[in-house]
Amino acid sequence: MKVALLLLTALPLCAQSTLYICAGAAKEYVVGAKLAASGLFRQTPGNTWEHLGYSIPFIFGVDSDPADPSIIFMAAGNGLIRGLNGGKDWTIVTGSDITELRDLAVTPTAIYIAHSRGIRVSKDKGKTWTELSGPLHRKYTEAVRVDRANPNTLLIGGEEGVYRSEDAGKTWKPAGAGTYQIMHLEQSPHDPAVWLAGTQGGGLYISRDGGKTFESPSEAPGFGRNIYDVAFDPTTPTRMAIGGWGPGVTVSEDGGKTWQARNAGLPRPDVSAIVFDPAKPGRIYASVHEEAVYVSDNAGKTWTSAGMEGRVASRMKFIGASK
Amino acid sequence: MKRLLLLILSALPLAAQTAPAFEARKLAMIDAYAHYPGPGDAGFGQIAARLWKHEDPAWCSKKLEDLLAAGPSGDMFWMYPVTAIAHLDQGQLTPSARKALRSAWKTYMPYRGDTENHFLLYYSSLYLMSQLYPNEPGSTWYTGKSSEENLEEARQWIENWVKLTTTRGQGEYDSPHYMGVYLLPISYLAAWAKDPAMKKRATMMLDYLIADYAPENLDGLYVGAHARVYEDQLVEKWKGVSSDFGYLWFGVGRPMPFPNNYTLYYAVASGYEPPEVLKRIATDRSKPYTHFEKKRTRNRWRFNDDLHGPVYKTTYVRKEYAVSSDQGGILQPIQEHSWDVTWSVPDARGIQNTLFFTHPFSSVHELQTYFVFGPDSGIEGVVRSKKTYDSPDKILGGSPYEKVFQDEDTLIALYSIAPGARFPHINGFFSKDTGEVKEDPSGWIFLKGGNSTYLAIRPLQPYSWKPIADGGKRLFSPYLNNGVIVQAAAISEYQNLEAFSMAIRKLPLEVHLDPVPSVRFRSLRGRQLEFTYGNNPTVNSKALDYTKWPLFGGPFLQAEVDSERLVIRHDNLRRTLDFRNLTSVDSGR
Repeated sequence: MKVALLLLTALPLCAQSTLYICAGAAKEYVVGAKLAASGLFRQTPGNTWEHLGYSIPFIFGVDSDPADPSIIFMAAGNGLIRGLNGGKDWTIVTGSDITELRDLAVTPTAIYIAHSRGIRVSKDKGKTWTELSGPLHRKYTEAVRVDRANPNTLLIGGEEGVYRSEDAGKTWKPAGAGTYQIMHLEQSPHDPAVWLAGTQGGGLYISRDGGKTFESPSEAPGFGRNIYDVAFDPTTPTRMAIGGWGPGVTVSEDGGKTWQARNAGLPRPDVSAIVFDPAKPGRIYASVHEEAVYVSDNAGKTWTSAGMEGRVASRMKFIGASK
Repeated sequence: MKRLLLLILSALPLAAQTAPAFEARKLAMIDAYAHYPGPGDAGFGQIAARLWKHEDPAWCSKKLEDLLAAGPSGDMFWMYPVTAIAHLDQGQLTPSARKALRSAWKTYMPYRGDTENHFLLYYSSLYLMSQLYPNEPGSTWYTGKSSEENLEEARQWIENWVKLTTTRGQGEYDSPHYMGVYLLPISYLAAWAKDPAMKKRATMMLDYLIADYAPENLDGLYVGAHARVYEDQLVEKWKGVSSDFGYLWFGVGRPMPFPNNYTLYYAVASGYEPPEVLKRIATDRSKPYTHFEKKRTRNRWRFNDDLHGPVYKTTYVRKEYAVSSDQGGILQPIQEHSWDVTWSVPDARGIQNTLFFTHPFSSVHELQTYFVFGPDSGIEGVVRSKKTYDSPDKILGGSPYEKVFQDEDTLIALYSIAPGARFPHINGFFSKDTGEVKEDPSGWIFLKGGNSTYLAIRPLQPYSWKPIADGGKRLFSPYLNNGVIVQAAAISEYQNLEAFSMAIRKLPLEVHLDPVPSVRFRSLRGRQLEFTYGNNPTVNSKALDYTKWPLFGGPFLQAEVDSERLVIRHDNLRRTLDFRNLTSVDSGR
C-alpha cells in the first residue's frame, strides 16, 4: 500500500505521458551537409514517430515545464530551445555566449542547463542566466539534475566526476567517480536517496545517500566501458538499467546488486539511450547506434524494432501530455 | 620615384607583372560564375554573380525559387550565399522570389556549428538579414527572436570575435582553405553593414586578415604552420583557396581553374582591394626575413584550465623558399600542420614543392578536447569526412609528442613518443618533385627543392623508405625518441649540391636520444642552437622567451598581445589599425 502511494506521488502523469526522443541522422552528417529529419520526435498513439519543429542535428536533452507539459525545452547545439504546443513552435532562448548544450533540468522555479563551459540557471524562464561553474576546477558539464526532495540540491556530472551542491550551485563538493567523465545522471523515482551515474570508462556508479557519495558497485556493470544512459523503472522499484557501448542494455532486478546483459535481439550491443515506459511495466526502449530504436515488453529479454531507423538517439524521455 | 617603381617591379614575380589589374581579376572571377560553363549551373553562386552584374534577373528569380523549393540545407553554408543574394537583389528579383528567400529564414533553422568560422558565417549572415528586414517579430524568424534581438545577439558575437582576434590571435589561423570563410563574411559586413562602426570595424578587419596572409605567401602559396589544411593542399600547396585570394589581391601565383566560391562571395560583396602597403609586403621578397605570429588554439572544452592555449609561429621567407613552424603539440584537432619547407617554383600547379615530418597521432582525447563528442563514435565519425585521420601512414595532424624549434632557415623537430602509443614511428614526406635524394654516410640526406633550394635533412634515428600512392616516398622511422634537423639554403649560395653538402658536413652536431632527444647544432648561419625535448630552446646560449612573443613581429607587421593595434609597414609606407578607437591611419609614400 505504501509502495503504491509512493508510486502515485512520483508518477502523476504516467497515464498521459508521451515518449519524446532527441535523435539525429548522424551517419553521413558533417556540419553543412544535407540532413535527414533530425531533432525532436514524439511517439504517436499509433506507435509511429512525429517529427516536431525544425530539423537540426544535435539535441542532447529534453524536458518540459512542470506547470505546463506542452512547453518543451531542448538542450541543443544552437542553445536552449523552447518549443511551445508540445514542442512544435521553437524559440532559441539563449544567446551567442553559450553553445553545445549537453543536458537540462526544468523545475517549477528554475531551468538548469549543462553546457560545454559549465552550468547555468535561469529563474525567469530563460530571460537572464547565472553561471554556476565558477568554483569548479574544470567547467565542462555533461549532466545536471535537481534533487526532487530538495530543490536547492544539485548534482552535476562533468570531466572530473560527480559534484553536488546543497546551496543551489553556489558551492560544490566532489561526490565520487572523480577519475572519470560523467555521461549521465538520474535519481530514483522511488527513493530520492538513490542515484545512478554512467561514466566514460568506469562503468556504473551508484549513490544510496542522496548523491553525497557515489561508488562503483562490487559487480560493476560495464566497467572499462562507456555508459551513455542510466534509467530506473518507474513501475518496479527494484529494476534499473544502463545503456552503454559494449554492455548494450544491462538490467538489474534487485536494486543494483546483480546485473544481467539483455541484448538478445539487438543488432549490436552499442546503446546510446534507454528509457522505461512509466505506464507499461517491463517496457523499455533502447536506441542502438545508427540502427534503430528497439522496444522490449519484458525488461530487455526480447526486443523488436520500434522504428527511427538509421538514427542515433541521445536522450529519450516520457513527458506528460499537453493540457 | 621612377627608380623606386623600377625597384618594385623588379622584385615582383612574373605573374604579378603580367597579371591584369585588380578590377579585371575580380571581374574575371565573377564572370566565371555569371557565365558558368556547365554542365548544369553554379546554383546560388551563379545567381549572386548575375545579380552583381545586373544580368538576367528573371533567370535569377526562377533559379532561386527552385533552389529554395528543394529545401534549404547546409546550415551556415546556406546562410552566406542567400544573404549575398538578398543584398545583391536591389530590386532585381521578382516579389515572389524575394518572398521565398525571406520566408526560408523562418522555415529553416541552420545549425550554428562548432567552430569559429561556422559562428562568423552564421552571425554575420543573421546580422545582415536582420538589418535588411528590421522591426519584424520573432514569429517571422527561425530563432523566434525579433529582428532587433537577432541583430544585437549577432553584433555582440562579431565584436567579441574581433576583440579576441586582435588581442590573442585567430583560433583557426592561417588556413589555406578556411581563410575564405573568414574573409567572405567580413567582406559582407564591410559592404553591407549600415552601422558605421560595424562597417569600419569590418573594413579594418579585411586589412588585418589580408595582412595575416601577405608576409606568409611565397608566390601566392600560403606557407607556414596552419591550424587547418586538407591533405591535398598540404602536399600540393597551390590547391588552397589561398591561391585564388593571392591572385585576386596581388596578382601572384596562379588561380584555380575555376574560382572557389569563397572568393566569389568576397568579390561580390566589398570586393576589397588591399592597400599599396599590403601589395608591397605580399610581393617584396628582395630580402630574407623572419616573421613571428602568436595565435591561439580553438576552444578547448575539456582537459585544460584555459579555454585557449598559445600558438607560437615562426616563418622565414626569402624569394627561393620559406621555412615555417609552430612549437608542436596538439594545437588544433585533426587538420593541424606544424612545420614545413616550401620552395619556390615557376608554376606550382601540379607540383609538390614541400617537405615535412609528422608523428601520426589520433585519439578520442584529442577530439574530446575540442569537441563535445562522445567517446565511441568520434574517431569513426571524423574518418568519414577526414579519411586519413586514424591512419598510421598519415602526414597531416599534430602530435602531443612533437616539439619544434626554428631559427631562421634551420628547424629542429624532436619526438618523444609515449611507450604504448598506437603509432610508434614518424613519417617524413619526400614529394615526387624533390628530385634526387642523396643519403650521405654522415647521416645527412641532401636534396634539391626545385631549382631554387638546397635542403639538408638529418633524421636522428635509422629509417626506411615506403612508397606513397600518389608519388614520392615516405621516410619511416620506428623509434620512440626521434627527431630531424632541417637546414635550407638558396642554390645561389653554393656552387653545387656537393658544395652545399660539404658545408653541412662541417657543421658541429651533437645528438643525444636518451632519456629524451636533444640536439646541439651550429647552423649554416653560424648560430649555436640547442634544443632538448620539453625544454626551451636556446640560440647562442640565450633561451627563447615565449612570454614576449608578439602577436605579429618582423619587418612588415608589428602588434603586441592585447593591444588591439596592428602596424603594417613596408619601408616608409605605413598603415596603423587601432581597433580600440576604430581608426586606420596611413602615412608615408
